Amino acid sequence: MKLGAGACWKIAVLGLTAGWLTTPEAGTAQELDPRNILEERCSSCHTPRAGGGLERISDNRKTPEGWEMTIVRMGIWHGVEVPEDELAVLVRHLSNTQGLAPAETAGQRFILERQPNVVENIPNAELNVMCARCHSFARVALQRQDEDEWRKQSHAHLGQYPTTEYQSLGRDRDWWGIARDKMPKLLGEMFPLKTDTWDDWRKSAKADISGSWRVHGERPGVGRYVGSAEITATDWDEYEVTYALRYANGSEVTGQGAAIVYTGFEWRGSATLGDEEVREVFALSEDGNSLSGRWFLANADEVGAHFNAVRVREGASTIIAVEPQMLRAGESTNITIHGFGLKGNVSLGDGVTISEFVTADANSITVVATAATDIEGGNRSVSIGSTIATDLFSVYSQIDRLVVEPPFAIARVGGGTTPAVVAQFTAVAYLNGPDGEAGTNDDVRLGSVPAEWSIENFSEEAEQMEDAKYVGTIDQNGTFMPAGAGPNPERKYKTNNAGRVTVKANAANGESQIAGDAEMVVTVQRWNSPPIL
Amino acid sequence: MRAYGKFTAMAAVAVIASVSLLGCDNELGKKEYLVTANKPNNLHLIDTETHEVAKTFLIPGDGAPGTVSVSPDGQVAYVITNHMESLVGINLDSGEEVFRADASYDNIRSKHMFAMTVSRDGKEIYSFQTPVRILPGEYQVLDTQIAVYKTDAGLDAKPVRVFPAPRQISVLAPSVDGKTIYGLGPSIFGFNAKTGEIESSHPLREWGRPDYGVPDILAAWPTFEVSNILTAPYFVPRTDKAPDAPDAMKTGLVSLNLKTGEVTTEDFENTSVLIFSTVQSPINPNEAYGVYTQLTKIDQKAHVVSNRIDMDHTFYAINVSHDGKTLYMGGTMDDVVAYDAATLEPKWAVKLPGGGDQGLASLRVVRR
Repeated sequence: MKLGAGACWKIAVLGLTAGWLTTPEAGTAQELDPRNILEERCSSCHTPRAGGGLERISDNRKTPEGWEMTIVRMGIWHGVEVPEDELAVLVRHLSNTQGLAPAETAGQRFILERQPNVVENIPNAELNVMCARCHSFARVALQRQDEDEWRKQSHAHLGQYPTTEYQSLGRDRDWWGIARDKMPKLLGEMFPLKTDTWDDWRKSAKADISGSWRVHGERPGVGRYVGSAEITATDWDEYEVTYALRYANGSEVTGQGAAIVYTGFEWRGSATLGDEEVREVFALSEDGNSLSGRWFLANADEVGAHFNAVRVREGASTIIAVEPQMLRAGESTNITIHGFGLKGNVSLGDGVTISEFVTADANSITVVATAATDIEGGNRSVSIGSTIATDLFSVYSQIDRLVVEPPFAIARVGGGTTPAVVAQFTAVAYLNGPDGEAGTNDDVRLGSVPAEWSIENFSEEAEQMEDAKYVGTIDQNGTFMPAGAGPNPERKYKTNNAGRVTVKANAANGESQIAGDAEMVVTVQRWNSPPIL
Repeated sequence: MRAYGKFTAMAAVAVIASVSLLGCDNELGKKEYLVTANKPNNLHLIDTETHEVAKTFLIPGDGAPGTVSVSPDGQVAYVITNHMESLVGINLDSGEEVFRADASYDNIRSKHMFAMTVSRDGKEIYSFQTPVRILPGEYQVLDTQIAVYKTDAGLDAKPVRVFPAPRQISVLAPSVDGKTIYGLGPSIFGFNAKTGEIESSHPLREWGRPDYGVPDILAAWPTFEVSNILTAPYFVPRTDKAPDAPDAMKTGLVSLNLKTGEVTTEDFENTSVLIFSTVQSPINPNEAYGVYTQLTKIDQKAHVVSNRIDMDHTFYAINVSHDGKTLYMGGTMDDVVAYDAATLEPKWAVKLPGGGDQGLASLRVVRR
């Protein structure tokens, strides 16, 4: 079977969208016994063991995406045919019985959430070169297996991709010697198959997610939103959800979706929000009372939003968001505090005067607030009755610095069968805090602010190649749209529309302006897009 | 095997041209041609006098074509193709497939991994291979090896000898006397052509140059046939310099003299551009040329770049005419171009039929 990697991941995405992220047809998945599927589809190569289990399969623990990739890979590499309904059953079974505990995914969730432009913090330079040269280190860190199994993976890597040891940062070292002898031992120690964390999680009772939830988040380029989610169980691990969201800009979005929850906490949903089809990758907290992660467009996963939900609990009270989240000295405006069970006296902290109650119910209270002209900038505790939130609201007189997030981004030219990958930037206002120094622990993140956006050549080399002229355009929401793919006959060396630019943001800072910037590399398409990059 | 119909006429024109010009570039009465390949699986013979593609043949099976080595008589081109799993010999007159060696067998999947050469006497082919055993449930990476085939073994050729070889070898080149097969990898290894015994080893990765790190050598272009000197560029960090110092990275040439076995490694500039392949001048022992997005002339005596021009676009492969006066460049897209070796001015260019990218296909110079 000679399928390119592109075909591989198209199949994978089909699985992602059509197979197990939507609610299966009534009665289908339930009738399939995963043990029978393993026996029928897998055991001719993965020999059953005397004590139970199958060779290699039983030696691994992975995320749902990890298991999906493995099964799809067996189709690409060896022609194993696993129908979508069986794939769905296998991924569910293996994730539940050989998955990762919530704590084991900590620090690596960005890759499951498909967050773009995350620069990984890899614990060891050799792991960076040996593993993360080709794929994220998170892909490695989201697997659990012992040394022997890691070694078999090394064999599979070089066996399947024999040019690995010839590529840059492969040919300058004894790549195979390191991959065979050194890496498996290290990875087996870092990410072993058996852990107490997993044993405890597997044994623990899993929360029922159904109920009323209060939701908040931010969609870069669009803004912050708050709202509600009503979640209903349709099976022990399947749910339906309806959303009602309101953005800070006043637009309202409703939607509905369905989700499967793997391993007791991995929410994978698909939903329609307004006129957009989205995918959801959320994690349920171990106490079952918060659900957080990211949702993104089904056809452009780099475009999405942060998501946080808190379960509405009888007799409890929580503040989830304050809108707007910052107030300037001398300004007077409506401020809304969102949450549930809200009741009692309202305070927005020192120096902020509340002059009027506009509306009030258990989920939100709107007041007219004024910041003193000589107010000292910083976080303010917000309280309603005995309910307090310490880091949701700030005051300031001048923004100390404007930080463009992400600080380093990659966009990809597009066209033909591979759409462009856009880059989304946000201008975030900061105070330097009491020590007056930027980048220290006492800095205060005020939040995102509107900005004027532009791009410039990053370097002298970019200037010579006129990168900023060719790479694409940025709009006033901070969305960069790359130019078309392919050799450009207008450019020097007929090169494509790749380049390196500085992304500049200019925001109002009282009567003056404040600027910030980020670096962006616009590069060529990537031809595959596996569930875990 | 078939030639493309529309190029048959071109081939006829080329033959007429060669007759009418009586174009002979040396005392043997042979003409100089270029042999190269492009995707999906085309082999081309380019006439350097008429500047035309004289013949184009479709190599049977899957591509993409990679390393090319031509028999000493210029009659047969051996090409690695079929996802590097097949080594195919094509008769350059008839287009007939005269040789085929598939590296994989039984449960062994193996690649002809870049490094491949015909012997000096034209009787054998040496191919560096990376076998993997595919077992139920797991792969086993096996030790790399050099397999030796008889060129007259036909279309189901099996190795007559197999000998172990260190991993990561990317170029094979025979010594002029035919007794040694050199392999360029972590070191330059000299294999006894008959027994496979490693008789010499010149370290590159662990070259031990004071104040130098490990050189990065991407050598996938066997272009030694004109000068009998195999060269490849290296890029290396200086360990005694600040990372942002102008001379923190050096570019140099590793050269292997196929007559004497002598190896030299000499810097010629602070790294300023990428160079993919290099070739030694056959008339000036102190001059070499390299190409990527620039064409570079290297003065090996003064250790400097003596000239450099921007190309229209990137080229991977460079070679040189037997008289040393013309540089040939190919690789990337479907362009093969000729430049004056003295002035670096363009001379002529051809488009390869089919329009496919040349990728890693070698650009070889042959007399026939």
